[in-house]
This record gives sequence, C-alpha cells and structure tokens, in this order.
Amino acid sequence: MSSDSSASLAARLRAPFEGPNTIGNSNGFWASFGVAVLLLAIYPVLFGPYAAATSSVFLVYALLGVSLCFIWGFCGILSFGQVAFFGVAGYTFGIVAINLSSYTGVTLGIVAGIAVATLFAALLGYFMFYGGVRDVYVTIITLVVALVLHTFLGQTAGSEWAVGEAALGGFNGMVGIPDLGVGVGDVGITLDGAMHYYAALAALIATYLGLRVLVNSQFGYAMVATREDEARTEMFGYNTTFIKFVTFTIGGALAGLSGVLFVTWGNYIDPSEFAITAAAMPVIWASIGGRESIFGTIAAAIAIQWLELQLTGEWALVIVGSLLIIVMLAIPKGIAPGIRDLIVALQTRRQEPASDSPAPTEEVSD
Amino acid sequence: MATSDPTVKTTAAVDETGVETDTILQTRGLRKQFGGLTATDDVDFGIDEGELRCLIGPNGAGKSTFLKLLTGRLEPTAGSIYYDGDEIGHLPSHERVSRGISMKFQVPSIYPDLSVRENLRIPLQRIADPDTFEQRTRETLERFHLEGTADETAANLSHGQQQRLEIAMAMTLEPTLMLLDEPVAGLSVEETAEVADLLRTINAEDDVAFVVIEHDIDFVETIADQVTVLHDGAIFREGSIEDVRNDPAVKRIYLGEEE
Amino acid sequence: MALYELLNLTFQFLDSFAFIVLATVGLAIIFGMMGIINLAHGEFILVGAYATTLSFNLLGVPLVLAMLVGIIATTVYGIILERLIIHRLYGRLLDSMVVTFGISLVMIQLTRIVFGNSLDQIGTPFGGISYGVYSYSAYRIMLAGAAILTLAALYVVFTRTTFGIKARATIQDEETARSMGVDTDRMYLSTFAIGSALAGLTGALYAPTITMSPDLGANFLVEAFVAVVVGGPSVLIGTSLAGGFLGTIDAIFTYVGGTFIGQVALLTAAIFAIRFLPDGITGLLEDIRAKRREAQ
Repeated sequence: MSSDSSASLAARLRAPFEGPNTIGNSNGFWASFGVAVLLLAIYPVLFGPYAAATSSVFLVYALLGVSLCFIWGFCGILSFGQVAFFGVAGYTFGIVAINLSSYTGVTLGIVAGIAVATLFAALLGYFMFYGGVRDVYVTIITLVVALVLHTFLGQTAGSEWAVGEAALGGFNGMVGIPDLGVGVGDVGITLDGAMHYYAALAALIATYLGLRVLVNSQFGYAMVATREDEARTEMFGYNTTFIKFVTFTIGGALAGLSGVLFVTWGNYIDPSEFAITAAAMPVIWASIGGRESIFGTIAAAIAIQWLELQLTGEWALVIVGSLLIIVMLAIPKGIAPGIRDLIVALQTRRQEPASDSPAPTEEVSD
Repeated sequence: MATSDPTVKTTAAVDETGVETDTILQTRGLRKQFGGLTATDDVDFGIDEGELRCLIGPNGAGKSTFLKLLTGRLEPTAGSIYYDGDEIGHLPSHERVSRGISMKFQVPSIYPDLSVRENLRIPLQRIADPDTFEQRTRETLERFHLEGTADETAANLSHGQQQRLEIAMAMTLEPTLMLLDEPVAGLSVEETAEVADLLRTINAEDDVAFVVIEHDIDFVETIADQVTVLHDGAIFREGSIEDVRNDPAVKRIYLGEEE
Repeated sequence: MALYELLNLTFQFLDSFAFIVLATVGLAIIFGMMGIINLAHGEFILVGAYATTLSFNLLGVPLVLAMLVGIIATTVYGIILERLIIHRLYGRLLDSMVVTFGISLVMIQLTRIVFGNSLDQIGTPFGGISYGVYSYSAYRIMLAGAAILTLAALYVVFTRTTFGIKARATIQDEETARSMGVDTDRMYLSTFAIGSALAGLTGALYAPTITMSPDLGANFLVEAFVAVVVGGPSVLIGTSLAGGFLGTIDAIFTYVGGTFIGQVALLTAAIFAIRFLPDGITGLLEDIRAKRREAQ
C-alpha cells in the first residue's frame, strides 16, 4: 500500500495514457506492460547481440502493424497500403544514404525517408478523403497503390533506373543500403547489431506511449467518433475529412519510420515489400491481435512473424492465413479485445454472488 | 442561460445583404434540381431568433431535400442561405455547426457502441474545458432525465432515452438554431409528449430557434404556432396552425397522397 | 502507316477492354449483389487457369473442354467456400475483405506447395493477324468477343430469367423477397457460384496467354478493383461502361508508356472518377432515375 500522495502522483502520471479509448487501464495492465518492456530490454543480454540483431526486425514489423492499428482501429480507415509508405521510405533512405555515404547522408536519409512517406500519405489521403472516397473504396485504392508500386519497382532493373549511385534494381532490389546511424560527416555513431535492436525498441515504445496519449486526447475522441459514425460526427461540428486526413498521414509517417528501420536492418529492399502477400501482413497482425488494441497488434505482429520464422518453410503462410480466417470468424474484434471481454465477464460473475468480499474493480487486460 | 424576451423586438434593421437582422435564418430563391426534377423550387423561407417553426407537407413535398440544403448535405443549384447575416449556402456541414446550427436527423444518430458519457463528450469537448466535463455531463444528464445512465452503452437505452440523449448532445453545442427531422418518428404516445415538452422548454428557456420537419400535423399542433407548408418543392402556405389546418387547399394536397 | 498505327491502337483497346471486363465481372457480381469484397478473386481465377492448364496438359483433352473443366472446378470451389466461410460474412464488408485476404494467402501458398513455382503453359491458339510490319494475336482479339458475349449472357440471365429476377429482388430487399417465398440463402449461394464461375471463365480464357505461377491472380487485381470502383453498384452496366472507359484509358497509356504507365493512368482515372462520381458511373445514372421516379 503506497501513501496517498504517491498514489495520486502515479495516477496523475498515468492519466494522459488512459481512457476508454484504450484497452488496458488497470494496475495489472501497466504491470504486465512493464514486464514486457523489461523482457524486451534484457533480451540482447540474455541471448547475445547476434540474436538481438536478428530479432530487431520483429520490432520493426510491430511498428508497421501499429501504423495500421492506429488508423484502422481508432479511425476506421482500413488501409492495405501501409506497405507502400513503408517501402517508399525504405527506398528513399537507400537513395539518400547510398549517394551521401557519410553520417550526414544516413541522418538525412532517415529524415528524408520519413518525410517522403509522410508526404506521400498526405497526398494520397488528400486525394481520397477530400475527393469523397469512403470506406471500402479507400481500402481498395490503398491496395491498388501498393500493387502499382510493385509493378513499377519490378520494372526498374535497367541501368537507367538509378538515382546517382543507387540503382533501384528491379525485382533484385536495392542492395548495399547503409546501417542506421546518426551524426555529421565522419563524426557519429552507427546503430547496428544490438544497437539497431535498441533503436527499434525505443521507437516502438515511444510510438506506443505517444499514440496512447493521442487516442485518449480530444483528437482521439474525434477519431473514435469518426470511426463510429461519420455523418453524426460532422453534425457536431467536426471536420471528419480533416480528421481522417491527419490520421492517415500520421499512419503513413509511422509506416515510413518502420520502413527506414527495416532497410537499415537488412541493408536491402526489393519490390516484394509491396506485393499482395506483404500488404496483407499488417492487416493480419491487427486483425488477430485486435485492431482496437495497440498492444494486441504489437504482440500479434511479433508472435506471428516469429512463428513464420520458426516454421521456416512453405507452410508458414498457409498457417498464418488459416489463423487469420479462424480468428476473424471466431473473434471478429481480435484476441486482445476478446481477452478483455472475457476478464470483464469473469469479474462481473465473481462480483455478483460474492457480495462481502472486496471484488477487484479494475479490469486486467491485454 | 441569458434569455432575451422574444416579444420585445427591436425595429428590424436591414443590413447590406437585405436580410432583416432579427431574422436568424433566411433563404433566398433556394433551388435544388436533380437532372430534370426540381426538388426545391425558389424557396424564400425565414425564421426569427427564438422562433419555433414547423415545416410540414405531404410525402415527396421536398421537406428533406430542403433540410439537407440547410444542413449542408446537399449543395443548392441556385439561391442562397443567410444565417445571422452571412451566406452559408456553400459551407460544409461542420462549419455551419460551428456557427451555431445544430442538427438532428430522423435516424437516431447517437453512437450506439459508446457509453452515454462518451457520447456526451463528443460535443462537449468542442466547447468546454476538460476540467468541467464531469460537472457538465452530470448537469446535462439531470436536465434531460438521463440520471444514472452515464456508463451505460447507448445502444442499451430505451428508444425515448436515446431520443433525449440525442437532443441533449445537440443542445450541448449551445446552438442558436436547431434543425430537427421528424423528432418523434417511431415514438410511443408518452414518449412523443415528453419530446414535445422538452422542445417547448428548450425553446423558451434557452432562446433557441427551431425548424422542425414533421409529417404528423397532430404533433405539430402541440409544439408550434406558426407553420410553413411545402408542396412540390415550393412554399404552399404559411401561417398559424389553425388557418393552415382549415385551409381546404392544404387538406386537398394531404388527401391527394393518402396512402 | 497511320492506318496501321490506328489498327494497333484499336487492337490494344480491344485487348484492354476484354481484360478489364473479364477480370472484373466475377468480382463485380459478388460485390454488387452480395456486399462481399472478394480479395481472393485473383485466386479464383487461379483455380480456373490451373484446372484448364492441368486438364489440357495431363489429360490431353481439347482446349475448349479443358476450359469447361476450369469453369466447373472454380464453380465447385466457390460453392464449397461459400458454405464453409463466406456465408458467415454477409453484411460484414470490411471483415469480408480481411477473411478473403486470408483465403488468398492460403491458396497462393497451397498452390505453390502442390504444383511448384510454375506449370507448362498452353500455347496461345489461332496464331496472329499480320498487317504491314505488325501482327497481333488473333486469340486476344477473340477475347474481346468473349467479353461481350459474357456481358450479354449475364444480361439475359439477370433480366429475363426467374432466377435473375429473384436474385435481384433478394439484393434489393431481402426481407420482402423472403416474405414472397424466395429462398434468399440459396440466392446468395447461387450468386456466389455465378461469380466464381465467371472468375473460372476468366482463368480458363487467359490460361493460354499468361505465365502459370501461383501468384498469377495478382495480375488481374488492379484492373478488377479499379473497374469495380469506377463501375459502381449496378453490376452489368457498370462493368460494361467501366470496361469501355478504362479500356480506352488503359489502351492509350499502355500504348504510349507500357504496363506501368497504363496502371498509373487507371489508378488516376479511378481516383478522379470517385471524386466526381462517388457511387460510380451507374450510381450517377441511378441517382437521376430515382429522382425522376420520385418526381412522378
């Protein structure tokens, strides 16, 4: 039992991260969140830098999943095009960093990659939302954009398709992309191996906490209201077009960030990142984990990608695809909200008969 | 809430747009065509601050098209809409709302999956400071007889409670004009009486002007003195409810469409 | 010379038109009539193409018969899938996309596991038509005829037969249709079967012209989705008009700049079409017609 003042301090610290828009507002949730972060943080210590370097990509994919979870789960925009922003950022980073082969180049590459992805998302979002494109048509257009990029980059094998030193490389992809790093000229630090892992982890945690604040803010309520009923929300004086535009652009920026982390992890990118199987992955993570739960999406992304790696073979996609179908039919909202509902149901059942025992009032979830 | 006595009217000053300034809403030659069909035909319609006006007419008279023009769901083919002296005919809905026009549609349009508290927060956060949310929510729930429902999911409320929640949400924005589309459609007799009561109270206490689209003349009689009859997209009659009710021509257009 | 250029462009148009119409019809019927976005549409085409190719290669049956096998296989496949999975998704538009995406993933990979990365392709029949220094595949021109025939046949089915009338009644108002004694469940199943058969037909017809790989379905997706978006809710007219409109755009831009430029032009056209016609071409027509009716 802590004293009143420290309890209220904790409550005040937690307040911006909590609200009805996020699943998991209880002590139990934050405790398990802490444990999860701790486990991820000591992973490189336990398993060594090599394992950390290989596992870094799971965190990168988790971030890509979060970019979709944010726009789909909270604003109702189902985009199959997150990979488009992911890939565009990756290629952009490659072009900048290969051409300016110094710390300056890498640093600028990070900025440029995210900026181009953000701009691309903003442009596409502007055309779609201000053009009155809705619901399922947004989904189709984002998918088509990814597929068209796939076609485009697939035919860039020729030597004329090079930007300075950086050859796009057609289906063979762009090779020799530098490691992640920051600095100016020759002075700076390279974030490779386990350092890349920590960079990705930091980005993921920062994004997670930042988005929790955002979705529980006034803007978050506006997003949720837009998801629930756009016409009604318009009637309360909200500019839902603008809300969707901003949300979609933020989603594009996050996908861009994950794209930069991806290419600096493998030092390589090819058009298969835009293919339909790749475009499906974020949707699969968010669907299985629960699109209204950022934490659920992260967990699902890591678990599914890990599973895919363990299966290492041709059956991986079959299993993942089947899992998706089964979860969508059995728990349409995904696993994390399913667990939440289960816990709430158990608690109310326990509370009802046992009237004199102090029943827990907070849900433990996620 | 400050109430200006509606019976004391200043001499109607006329501003540069030619709109009388105690008129809150005025349309001029408002027209909407779909292909060859004219759904709204050169309508000049105006209501004063604090007035409660019902807009009636048989099915297909163009009531909902007219309302959609006022709310911004449709763009007029020609003509203009003045609100508080400004032309708003081409503003998007949300900007009209920001200027003080609240709208409530026929379909109960609360957020069914959100709690009552969250429902109220959506309009509340547009005008109020976060520190006051709790208190204002409590006040609103009391005023609209929704005490104890704050944490209910809106879908679990009774039909009448949903209607009241919806009006409460529209009122939260502190509008000067409310546009209501058939507010009692599908309600029981008791619920209808309750809504009628609520509308009269709000109209009197908060000095909000109302345009109520209504099909049911009996309900109209309980809330309004002045009515406007639409027929074939144009204004057919305007006057007190008794005059209109006894007008043989109005009877004829209503009978003409008897289902 | 200019005449040959014109001929080239005409053939390119016929080719694009046929491709768009055939890629779209199955998807459009399932979307327009049932509210299901079938993201596994490309893999339905895959089933048709593979069944055709395999029966031609392995059983040595004549091509036409092989194509028939392709159509039947896809139809049966569609019926099984509808009973197992799809019928749980009616009224859940976005969920239907996610689940069919899962189906697509499983199918591509299963195909790869069972048949490897490619099959021997059936040679394109009929040879070419030569003019000047150019020549154009006669089979591809024939496909334009097949596309028009398909649209005509569907028109007859959906407007002239009792089945078509029942199906359309179900789509317009399920409750009423049911109260009139229509077995709406069976209507959905039949409509899905027709959509599947059409995808099978597309696969069968294009089997001799494309590389037989497990991901061949992706070739059809861009055109199909763009045409569905542009065509709008009224399936047959929408698909025909979208085929004509997009076919022209695709032909011109592909002619000038190749496949990629053609696809970009399609995408741009789709975005513009949605901007100005939110419910597609037929949505616009429907709007005008509805207002006319209201006026009377």
